[in-house]
Amino acid sequence: MKAAQFEQHEPETVEEAVSLLESLDDRAILAGGQSMVPMLRFRLAVPETVIDINQIDALDYLEEDNDWLRIGALARHADVEHADVIQEKYGSFADAAPLVADPQIRNRGTVAGAVAQADPKGDWGSVLLAHEGEVVAHGPDGERTIPADEFFLLPYDTTLDENELLTELRVPTPAAHEGSAYHKLKRKVGDYAMAGSAARLVLDDDGRIERAGIGLTAVDITNVRATDAEDHLEGERPGSDLFKRAGELAAEQSNPESDEHGDAGYKERMVNVLTQRALGDAAERAGLVKRRVTQ
Amino acid sequence: MTDTREITLTVNGTEHTIEVEPRQLLVHAIREELDLTGTHIGCDTGNCGACTVLRDGEPIKSCLMFATQADGSDLMTVEGMEDLPEAGGELHPLQEGFREEHGLQCGYCTPGMIMAGKALLDENPNPSEADIREAISGNLCRCTGYQNIVRSIEYAAEELEHGEIAAADGGVAIDADANADGEFDCGVENCCGGPAAEGDGDGDRGSDPASRGERR
Ligand SMILES: Cc1cc2nc3c(=O)[nH]c(=O)nc-3n(C[C@H](O)[C@H](O)[C@H](O)COP(=O)(O)OP(=O)(O)OC[C@H]3O[C@@H](n4cnc5c(N)ncnc54)[C@H](O)[C@@H]3O)c2cc1C
Ligand code: FES
Ligand code: FES
Repeated sequence: MKAAQFEQHEPETVEEAVSLLESLDDRAILAGGQSMVPMLRFRLAVPETVIDINQIDALDYLEEDNDWLRIGALARHADVEHADVIQEKYGSFADAAPLVADPQIRNRGTVAGAVAQADPKGDWGSVLLAHEGEVVAHGPDGERTIPADEFFLLPYDTTLDENELLTELRVPTPAAHEGSAYHKLKRKVGDYAMAGSAARLVLDDDGRIERAGIGLTAVDITNVRATDAEDHLEGERPGSDLFKRAGELAAEQSNPESDEHGDAGYKERMVNVLTQRALGDAAERAGLVKRRVTQ
Repeated sequence: MTDTREITLTVNGTEHTIEVEPRQLLVHAIREELDLTGTHIGCDTGNCGACTVLRDGEPIKSCLMFATQADGSDLMTVEGMEDLPEAGGELHPLQEGFREEHGLQCGYCTPGMIMAGKALLDENPNPSEADIREAISGNLCRCTGYQNIVRSIEYAAEELEHGEIAAADGGVAIDADANADGEFDCGVENCCGGPAAEGDGDGDRGSDPASRGERR
C-alpha cells in the first residue's frame, strides 16, 4: 500500500524542528524510518506533514565525556555496533546492537527512534533502563531530561511531550568495577525478542554489588525494570546462587503474554534464564575491569 | 494535491534527476521512474530484503526509505554489478558464484542477496561462513535453504581474493596470476590485455530496462 500524501519538512537545526512541531498540528517525526515508513505505508499513521530530522547534523554523534555516554538522536544502530568505546566499555550495548533487526535496518534505524517508538519488544529500552539512563528532550521551553524509568508509559506511548524532540539518550560512564550485558531470545535471526534481559552490575572495592540494574524486553506492556531482583542483588557478593534467585524474581515480576511463539509460563522461564546469563556476563565483565585496574 | 520534488540520484554511476512525491518509496523510484526492475519488492514490512541496494556503499532496504531521503546519494543496484571492474565485462564473481553454486532457484531474492553479499565483501574480503550468514540475515529466501547462497558468496570471495577473473565463456575461471606476463587475451574489453574500451562510461548504464538480475 502507498502512504497517503503528506507534506515534507527537513529542518536543519533542533530549534527549527521544535518550531515546526509547535506550529504544525498534524505531523509526525521521521528519523531512520525503519518503523515509521511501514506505519505510513499501512496508513497506521496518516499525518498531514512529516518532519524528517535526518538533516540535523548536530544530532549525529556518539561520544563519551567524563560523566556520560551520549547517543545523539541520529546515531544509527550500526554506529553503536561499530564504535570502539562501546566494544571496550559498554557490554550491554555491544551485546544488543548486533541483535537488533538485521544489517540493513541497523544502517538506517536510530537508537533514539527505537526508544521513541516505545515498542515493548524493542531492545534498547531495556538497556537504557538497566543503566539508569536518561532521555534528553527539546521542546518550546528548552531542554529537559527524563529518567529512563519515567519514560515508557504504554506500548508506543511515552512521556515525551507532543512538541518535544528527543535529542539524546545517555547513560552514566562505567564506574571502576562495572559490567553489563544483554541476552535476547528470538525465534530466528533478525526477529524481535520473545524475551530479553539487560543487566548492569556496579561492584564496590570489596566486590559487593553496590548497584544492580535489570531491564526486560517483550514481557510486559513496556520495557520494564526488574526491581525485586535488583533489590535482592544489592549488598551481596556476585555468585550463581544469588543470580539464580534474581532470575526467579525477575521472572515473577515479569508479565508476558502467551502468543504463537510461546506461552506465558515458558516466557517467564526464559526471563529467568536470560537474566541469570546477563548477570553472569555482567559480573565477569565487572571483574575484568577490576583485575585490570588493580594490576 | 500532488506536491512533487526534484531529486538527484546517482545510480550505478549515472546521474538521474527525477520528480517524486514525498510519499514515494525509494524502491518505487528505482523500479518505476528509472526502470531498473532488478531491485525487487517482496514484502510490505521491511522483512525480506529483496529490495536491498547500496546507498553510499551501505546496504539498506529501499522499501524503508522515501526517495526524497536519498536525494544526492550514490546508489548501486544489481544492474550495476556487471559494470564493475571485477566483472571484466561479464558476470561479476558474485553473479558467477550464484550460477556456479546454484545459489538461486526462483531468483526472487537474488538481487537482494547479491547486494548484501557485495556489501559484505567490500568490508570483509575473507568472510567466514558465520560472517556471510550474518550479512544475509536481513534477506529471506523461500527456495534454497541458504546453503547454496552461502557457497555462492564464498565462491565470489575466493575468486576475488585470488585475483581470478571469470573467463569470457562464463564457465571456466582463469587465474590472473598465472597470466601475469600479460600475454593471454580473453577477448573482453579492459580485461587480460584485451582492447581498451573508449568512452564507455555511462552510455548504456541505467537505461537498459531489462535487468540482468531478473533475466534468469
Ligand atoms: C523487520 C524489522 C525488524 C526489527 N527488529 C527489531 C529488533 O529486533 N529490535 C528492536 O529494538 N527494533 C527492531 N526494529 C525496529 C528498529 O529498531 C527501528 O529502527 C526503530 O524502531 C525505529 O527507529 P528509526 O530511527 O527507524 O525511527 P522511525 O521509524 O523514523 O520513528 C519511529 C517512531 O519514533 C518517533 N521518533 C523517531 N525519532 C524521534 C525523535 N528524535 N524524537 C521524537 N520522536 C521520534 C517517530 O515519530 C516514530 O513514531 C525492527 C524493524 C523492522 C522493520
Ligand atoms: S521489499 Fe523491502 S524488505 Fe521486503
Ligand atoms: S531463490 Fe526463490 S526466494 Fe530465493
